Amino acid sequence: MSSRGATAVLSRASRIRSKLQTALEATVLEVDDVSYQHAGHAAVKGSSDKETHFNLNIVSPKFEGQSLVKRHRLIYDLLADELQSGLHALSIVAKTPHETNPSK
Amino acid sequence: MQHSLKRRNETDSCFFLSRYRHRSSMATLNLSSLQALSSHRLCSSFPQNTPTPSFNFQLKPSINPRPISLKPYVSEKPRARVVALAVKSLGDTEALAVSPENDGPAGELPSGAGVYAVYDTNGDVQFIGLSRNIAASVAAHWKSVPELCGSVKAGVVDEPDRETLTQAWKSWMEEYIKDSGKVPPGNESGNATWVRQAPKRKPDLRLTPGRRMQLTVPLENLIDGLVKENKVVAFIKGPRSAPLCGFSQRVIAILENEGVDYESVNVLDEEYNYELRETLKKYSNWPTFPQIFVDGELVGGCDILTSMYEKGELASLFKK
Repeated sequence: MSSRGATAVLSRASRIRSKLQTALEATVLEVDDVSYQHAGHAAVKGSSDKETHFNLNIVSPKFEGQSLVKRHRLIYDLLADELQSGLHALSIVAKTPHETNPSK
Repeated sequence: MQHSLKRRNETDSCFFLSRYRHRSSMATLNLSSLQALSSHRLCSSFPQNTPTPSFNFQLKPSINPRPISLKPYVSEKPRARVVALAVKSLGDTEALAVSPENDGPAGELPSGAGVYAVYDTNGDVQFIGLSRNIAASVAAHWKSVPELCGSVKAGVVDEPDRETLTQAWKSWMEEYIKDSGKVPPGNESGNATWVRQAPKRKPDLRLTPGRRMQLTVPLENLIDGLVKENKVVAFIKGPRSAPLCGFSQRVIAILENEGVDYESVNVLDEEYNYELRETLKKYSNWPTFPQIFVDGELVGGCDILTSMYEKGELASLFKK
């Protein structure tokens, strides 16, 4: 089975999850498709793709020492292909394990 | 008969006074019997030759008078009782000092909805207003006429629907008029000092004179100059008066709420900002919109701005 064929079958949500998990080794990775909330959105009216908006909640040690801008840039870089092929917007919450459990 | 005519004169003077009430679409006075007696004493101080309008109204101290209204009259007595509970009287409310050392009054005053009275440094009432956000309104007054803002009394109104707010404002106005015999200067007809005119929204900036003109400078240079010459620049989808994307809408709401002076650029404007979207993505290394720049540096998008707003970090960011 060709890898290209396998990729074509995966949903965008699955591709997003796979790319982020591989690169960030996340302890928490929530990928929520909220495209339905933006149905009829003016900026994406021409798009035939339905998976346009995602909420991401990621907890990863890779964010240690990184500013919010850098964390978001890191995520955007990992998903650059998706953003160029129909993904319209991401809502991102990116934290380190320490930030989610300050007592540890 | 003569006695009756004399009383009518006083009544007419009283209603003439009510015409100066600010923001009141109806010239109405709700007088209890006790207040009616006080108003009689009040009205007697007016000169007799004051031109008086004619009213089909007969004031009888023994009954609760029906206010004059051009609209269908609905009894306000139950609501008046609610208002009595909703807000303290003007006299019973404590004044909060407004001074330059406090860096504006917003820190002490409630940011809820209600009625407020502005006193100058002599302790004289300058203006009685109602607001959805008392602290913001007083901050605006302070910004425009600081010499008239010495202290403020604020009465927060719970469940602030329009009618309850108006009733609270009326009760403070009536109390002041009863005590002082006059209308606060700021509430007099024609005084525009205290009335916030509908804020003219800044126009969105345009990077080019239009598609038909040839660019003599690369677009990224225009972007670079723009974000460095203006303290706060928001690149959004749609105009600031009607953003076309929920994220851009939220960014505009945050910036407006912070009261910060900012510029906006509509990245969807294909006539004046053509090719901006792709160029800006490379310039900022950020693939989505909105994008917010402060002091020439990218702060981030909607998520980061929202996060900083919720943590209270924006005020210091904009003050640097």
